[in-house]
Amino acid sequence: MRINRKRVLAVIVVLGIFALGAVGYWIVSAGMPDGLEQTMENAGIEEQEPVYKAPLDYGGDYPMYILMGAIGFFAVLISALGIAKLMAKKNETQPDR
Amino acid sequence: MHIPDGLMWPITMAIGWGIAIFALAIAVRKEQTTMTNEKVPTMAVLAAGIFVAQMLNFPIVGGTTGHLLGATLATLVVGPWAAIIVMSIVIIVQGFLFGDGGILAMGLNLVNMAVVAVAVSAIVLRFTRNIKTEASVFSAAWCSVFVASLVCGLELAVSDMMAPGYYGITWTVSIPMMTGLHSIIAIGEALITISIATYFLRVYPALIRNVRRAPEAAT
Repeated sequence: MRINRKRVLAVIVVLGIFALGAVGYWIVSAGMPDGLEQTMENAGIEEQEPVYKAPLDYGGDYPMYILMGAIGFFAVLISALGIAKLMAKKNETQPDR
Repeated sequence: MHIPDGLMWPITMAIGWGIAIFALAIAVRKEQTTMTNEKVPTMAVLAAGIFVAQMLNFPIVGGTTGHLLGATLATLVVGPWAAIIVMSIVIIVQGFLFGDGGILAMGLNLVNMAVVAVAVSAIVLRFTRNIKTEASVFSAAWCSVFVASLVCGLELAVSDMMAPGYYGITWTVSIPMMTGLHSIIAIGEALITISIATYFLRVYPALIRNVRRAPEAAT
């Protein structure tokens, strides 16, 4: 797999759109519940303490949100690259059926 | 739609894990025979893009928000088996790194967002492949979110039936609320998916599969 300009550009475009979209998110939607949280709220159910404490959260302000988005982006990118690369390698080493 | 820990009846969560692992194992097995080096970066950028897209909630009615799920987009770009893997990677990173969705409930989150949503997308895209592309993508995206929310509502209802007062939410609330809110969120999902798919079809048509193509767009 080569790292070419097109792929680097795709990463920059996705992160750029995210940074712009996050402005709208912080102005309009931050702090509002999603569909499941709203359903829980209407049923009078409060979220319990999680069994597992994650090392990160999405952050409480715009700069942290962008930073966490970028960290998550690269964590997913690297995980997916690794897994897909492993599968491609296995496929190449398999005898023709 | 990320289910937190402590909300579902433990056996529901165990069943969720069983189904998720089974579906993921099949997806990996199927993809291992077709995965090429060219598909690797596409899958990776798609997964990372869906991750950040899921962070961008948009408002709907009554102070509620929704965000892109991305199952139909993933199905369009990499096909259903790879889409299950892509969505699973997103959900696993969200859970382990950011605590978005419970760890014990992750099996159910994988079932709803990676398995059900992708399966519905693939089925709807297949049955609507001869109609206009926009209509086909809209139907698939809308149905993927709606059915995933219905399944989530049913999981909440089953948990409530098995351990009333301890787990889940009664079906009279869970099913109408989940499907009602997500039927609106699904419109946002459909519009975003159409926009991205249309853009890809224009600039890089080979990236999109499972839809009817205009003769000049077909490659």
